Amino acid sequence: MFLIILLVILAIIGFTIITYNRLISQIEAVRNNQKQIDIQLDRRFKVFESLINVVKKYMDYEQTTLKDVVALRNQAQQAQASGDEKGRIAAENKISDIASHINVVFEQYPDLKANQNVMQLQEEIVSTENKLAYAKQSLNDSIEIYNANKKSFPANIIVGTFHDKLDIDFPYWQLSEQKVAEQESYTVKL
Amino acid sequence: MPGEFDQYHVSIADWRSTLRQNNFRTRIVILMFFLIYCGIGILVDMYMSSMQHPHATLGQLFEALITFQIFPVATIVMLAIAGVSLLVSYSLYDKLMLLGTEYHEITPTTAQNVAEQQLYNVIEEMKIAAGLRYMPRVFIIDADYMNAFASGYSEKSAMVAITRGLMTKLNRDELQAVMAHELSHIRHLDIKLTLTASLLSNLSIMVLDMFFYNMIFSGNRRNSENRSGNILVVVIMILRYLLPIISILLLLYLSRTRELMADAGCVELMRTNQPLATALMKISDDHNQNRDRYSAEYSQTPHENIRREAYIFDPMQAGIESMTSIGDFFSTHPSLEARLAALGIKRKP
Repeated sequence: MFLIILLVILAIIGFTIITYNRLISQIEAVRNNQKQIDIQLDRRFKVFESLINVVKKYMDYEQTTLKDVVALRNQAQQAQASGDEKGRIAAENKISDIASHINVVFEQYPDLKANQNVMQLQEEIVSTENKLAYAKQSLNDSIEIYNANKKSFPANIIVGTFHDKLDIDFPYWQLSEQKVAEQESYTVKL
Repeated sequence: MPGEFDQYHVSIADWRSTLRQNNFRTRIVILMFFLIYCGIGILVDMYMSSMQHPHATLGQLFEALITFQIFPVATIVMLAIAGVSLLVSYSLYDKLMLLGTEYHEITPTTAQNVAEQQLYNVIEEMKIAAGLRYMPRVFIIDADYMNAFASGYSEKSAMVAITRGLMTKLNRDELQAVMAHELSHIRHLDIKLTLTASLLSNLSIMVLDMFFYNMIFSGNRRNSENRSGNILVVVIMILRYLLPIISILLLLYLSRTRELMADAGCVELMRTNQPLATALMKISDDHNQNRDRYSAEYSQTPHENIRREAYIFDPMQAGIESMTSIGDFFSTHPSLEARLAALGIKRKP
């Protein structure tokens, strides 16, 4: 009898340890994925700078674009420093708009389109924007896994016991409703 | 992409349920391999102990062995051998996969043209979507046929290889879908899994074979009093012919299951099923159109059979190489139709 009780207690302790550790690693995965978005934003800025440096030789147009991107980048960084997430996202989204515009501009310059460097940079823009989107997707996926785990039974009992360490509310990455409405009615104007 | 799906109903792929379902199947298969392996061990032990206890029934012997009243020496030795050989093959396997092909590695700094850079980029994008910690090494195989495979025992040692034919004939999205399929293999640890399963099955067949011959050549020890021993002889004779067939069927079933999981994993990463579907159709069509040429190319590459299971597309499905019966039970990959159906794309009646 004593042996059975001992075994049950050991099993419960073992389960608690495994669940605790799993939740901790899932929390850290979410945090890492949040930072991955920052990494990709930073990377995008660098790609843009080099792109504009190449393109500059071909057209004056890009001089102003360069200034725009730099200005937006500064805005984003200031917003980030002061903790203004919304302002930062707004600035980063404007950079995205410029990205799609640059690809349209390319079509009008046959010389430029054929330039090897530009082709490479064009590929880099596409890839950078994709990476940013996938980083957001990956963040949401890791939040999904963590939330599902946290709320499922019997893990939720353990979460209740170690409330401070294990119960963290991560919001999913999403657009505001107003933004969604805006984006839905958006069409490309050339 | 209009046109390509003219003959198909396109709906969404339920990747979550495909993953769950096939994960369950995998567990069953691996459990079966493990049970078969231990079963053979117990069989050997039962035979050996029936020598010492000629009057015990099979049931008594079995009970004594699994409750450790008689120590199951053979089973424990066999498990130890399996453990050691798994460790050895894990450490050697990566080098095997590229054997015989002409290949070169791509890194961001060594990419020679936009296509190679694009390849590296799509893999990196999928790596981010999959949340992998390490970037797999990327290899290009200089061959015209369209194929790709992944290898590696962990995220750290992972690699993907892709033929030049595949890289040039697919568009960016399709290339990304193929790479997402390969990264899913890495993420699901499929290489480790299939190797473990095939090693267990080979070992159990080997043990059974050794035991079988041992029994034949030591026939004098058999006597009419040892009834349990005599029944075991019959069981082992039957198993010797049955087991290889069972294990091959199980291995192929496992492989098909993992392919479907990788397809579902690709949809999970890309959140769209169409690029993978068109890529699979293109690869299949391309193999059918160039059957003779590719057949020669595949057969000129040495050690092609090592990669057969790992490829995204099994060349034998296009009738390449000498295999004649391509029934569903005997293929490493599900048929194109079955894969498309699992992706939510069905041919119109």
